[in-house]
Amino acid sequence: MQDPAIQETFIRLVSEHRGMLYKVCRLYCFTDPDRQDLFQEIVLQLWRSYPAFRGEARISTWLYRIALNTAISGLRKQKRLITSVDPESLPTELQDIQYPPEKEEQLRQLYTAIDRLSEVEKALTMLYLEERSYQEMEEILGISQNNLRVKMNRIRDKLRKITQSEAYGIGKS
Amino acid sequence: MELESLKYIWHSLEVPPNLLRDRQSLVVLLQKKSQAPVARMRRNLIWEAVLLLTAYTPAILCFLFGFEGRLAAISWLFIIVLAFFFAYYFLKYRLLRKMQCPTCQLRSNLVRQVETLKRYTRFYLLAGTAMIPLTYALAWFIIRWKFSSAFSTLFQRLHPTPWWGSSGLWLVLLIPLTVGMYFLNAAYINKLYGRHIKKLQELLRELDSE
Repeated sequence: MQDPAIQETFIRLVSEHRGMLYKVCRLYCFTDPDRQDLFQEIVLQLWRSYPAFRGEARISTWLYRIALNTAISGLRKQKRLITSVDPESLPTELQDIQYPPEKEEQLRQLYTAIDRLSEVEKALTMLYLEERSYQEMEEILGISQNNLRVKMNRIRDKLRKITQSEAYGIGKS
Repeated sequence: MELESLKYIWHSLEVPPNLLRDRQSLVVLLQKKSQAPVARMRRNLIWEAVLLLTAYTPAILCFLFGFEGRLAAISWLFIIVLAFFFAYYFLKYRLLRKMQCPTCQLRSNLVRQVETLKRYTRFYLLAGTAMIPLTYALAWFIIRWKFSSAFSTLFQRLHPTPWWGSSGLWLVLLIPLTVGMYFLNAAYINKLYGRHIKKLQELLRELDSE
């Protein structure tokens, strides 16, 4: 794709949504190099698919589909994804961003909870946190709204249990 | 902590300032090649085909036009082998192209990947296993064809069929070799793709479970 106008529109689109793309990377990768790799891969997949985008789906739906497909089902290097996670590296690990201590603690809680979810649960949680409707979630994930509601209830319970066990120090050595 | 309260934290998350803030870094990124394994496999396949063509072409031309054309049969043999390889590369490439649909719904993309990956590994296994009997048949044919005139001479009358000319012996050796190759290939393919197929199937199961 060489058309500078298309390239310019695409760059604007990615810049506008880079926050969302970064969150997907943060959700599915534990280390900074892995996040960079995934980010690059998602952008390249978006770029490749962009000429075929006719606007039948909402732009957000299209973006989430590609980002989640690349993150979850893309045949990617397993090594760094599977390695056991060093609990010390779990808290936030957002390089170059300095948060106040109180927020740092909240972020640590958020990621500790989310990192214990399965890949599908992470996708659902993210879409929920991004305030996507069940209709849009269905369009992105391809599962019925009833099933989505059941799953969301389960995730709520799971997150509650995780954060409770964190608060009481259960599971910590 | 409730999911609702996580929303507030989630929305307050900031993007690292070094993440593609400027236009130029994004332009540079767009020029890069995908490092996803499927994309890399496709590129490797093309390189393999180019390498094979580069290696075979001088040999084919040499046997076709050299030696006063007496060894032209060898170049035809090379052409047949090359044609087999290219058919194999074409089918493999087509399967790799079909493997992913990033713009599809997550579930349908997973279904597509599992099915294509299974077909891909089946094809890989069959092609790898079939290579043995095919090579074997070719070698047997060359030996029989090359030495057929010798068999009808005095040598054949003294010793009707040498041990290496016996079809039965070839057949007896062929079976364990093919079976062994099948299991060797199956283990190798399982090592390469088994874990990924299992992971995709688990994801699908999780998506479908209520």
